[in-house]
Amino acid sequence: MEAEAETCHPRPRRSLALSLWTAMMVVALILGNALLAKPSLADEIMTPRKQVPSAFSGWLDEDVGPFPGVVAPEGTYEGKDVEQPIEFPHDLHTATNKINCLYCHTYARRSAVAGIPPTSKCMGCHSIIATDRPRIKQLTEYWDKGQSPPWKKVHDLPDYVRFTHERHLKKFLFDNPDMTVERVDEVCALCHGDVTKMTVAKKQKPLTMGFCTRCHQANGGTFDCQKCHK
Amino acid sequence: MSLVRNFIEDWSRYRRSINEGGFHEYEHMWGMVIDLDKCTGCNACSVACYAENNLAVVGEEKFESGQGMHWLRVERYWDEPNIGNERVRDTQEHGGSFMPMMCQQCNSATCEPVCPVAAAYHTPDGLNAQIYNRCVGSRYCANNCPYRLRYFNFYSYYEDSWPSPLDMQLNPDITVRDKGVMEKCTFCVQRIRSAKNTAKMENREVADGDFQTACQQTCPTTAIVFGDLLDHDSEVHKLWHKFQTKLGTTKQKKDNPELRGYRLYEQLNTEPSVTYLERVRDV
Repeated sequence: MEAEAETCHPRPRRSLALSLWTAMMVVALILGNALLAKPSLADEIMTPRKQVPSAFSGWLDEDVGPFPGVVAPEGTYEGKDVEQPIEFPHDLHTATNKINCLYCHTYARRSAVAGIPPTSKCMGCHSIIATDRPRIKQLTEYWDKGQSPPWKKVHDLPDYVRFTHERHLKKFLFDNPDMTVERVDEVCALCHGDVTKMTVAKKQKPLTMGFCTRCHQANGGTFDCQKCHK
Repeated sequence: MSLVRNFIEDWSRYRRSINEGGFHEYEHMWGMVIDLDKCTGCNACSVACYAENNLAVVGEEKFESGQGMHWLRVERYWDEPNIGNERVRDTQEHGGSFMPMMCQQCNSATCEPVCPVAAAYHTPDGLNAQIYNRCVGSRYCANNCPYRLRYFNFYSYYEDSWPSPLDMQLNPDITVRDKGVMEKCTFCVQRIRSAKNTAKMENREVADGDFQTACQQTCPTTAIVFGDLLDHDSEVHKLWHKFQTKLGTTKQKKDNPELRGYRLYEQLNTEPSVTYLERVRDV
């Protein structure tokens, strides 16, 4: 009889339990949404993971690159020797004679490609300077024939990549308050290696997509695929 | 607290995406208006597209088997009562109409989620991008496109499509696509890019009329208008508003027959960025 009486005991109210259960579920949903929400693949591709604001980059030791306002991309590459028609000494022009990179590669600051200077630019100096040297005689031969030396391309990007020199120079040099145009060789050195120590230019940085994206990550560049792939 | 804030942010983003069609996070939103009343079906836009975007000429045989590479095609339609009535069939005034079809740059595109390697993705410009060197040629995107506006390189067309002197005409700003790569209209992304580059170099925003797409530039009747839909002074924005084409709907509700704007296959909820203005009939 006692057991029967127990079973007949009035049950706790259904509605209260139900509302409690719903409230718990709502809380769980909110927490679950907030905890488990992951950025989508597109978000991950688009947003750079580590952005270094250039104003603060000088304050932190690990962010100091070769010059203020940039984190240098890591990576080296053993490029092959390139046989140029005339063995052009970069070190003599830049390190010894202190000629600015932008004097000869003048298109770098206003177009996508840095360009090779026309022979007339060479002859602007070399019709007077060092005319007795064998290489200059070689150059003068080309000049007299009305030809330009068939220079070989050293840094060649694939057809599907778009790279503009002007925008990179604008960011790292002209918009950078800590830099002056005289120090442009440090900006060039980010991707081309230290040309002031080379005779004939050689590829010293890998220039792969990983190399580009590492620098874009560190310096807050774009991560939109279509900006660089055409 | 951050959990709650995240939740609220997520929720408000979701609500906004329902109300505004998810278009609020774009930097630009490139859109187009095509006035079918002005279109004469001259195919100049298609030719301009071939010249601008390094499109391969595939030849008659391959074209017949549906392997044409025309990013922009002009489709011809006839109204129902005139079918079989030979006398009036070939004029535009009597039930015929032309429709230039390029990639609609859908804002919730069907081609993007099916790509196994994320070669098709959405840019912050509201463009539906295709990254050629990432594409592995699975062709899922083309099969999923309701407009049939994606074209596949079945052969290495670059080998014989531009014999020796003709390869000098190739546009260096865009890749010459190889075999096994899907391609489609990009709204002339190389022109967008160079316009943005110029604007950045001059420290300003891209203004309306800085550049044109190739088809717009060539259209003799100015039937094609292109611009930034987020820029409220742009011509394309004004046209969308004039004809009351709304984003974020699956059907344009209009009482007035003068509001001619509509988008293709809106009922599929693809949210295209191209508005077509219906042809006006005399009768």
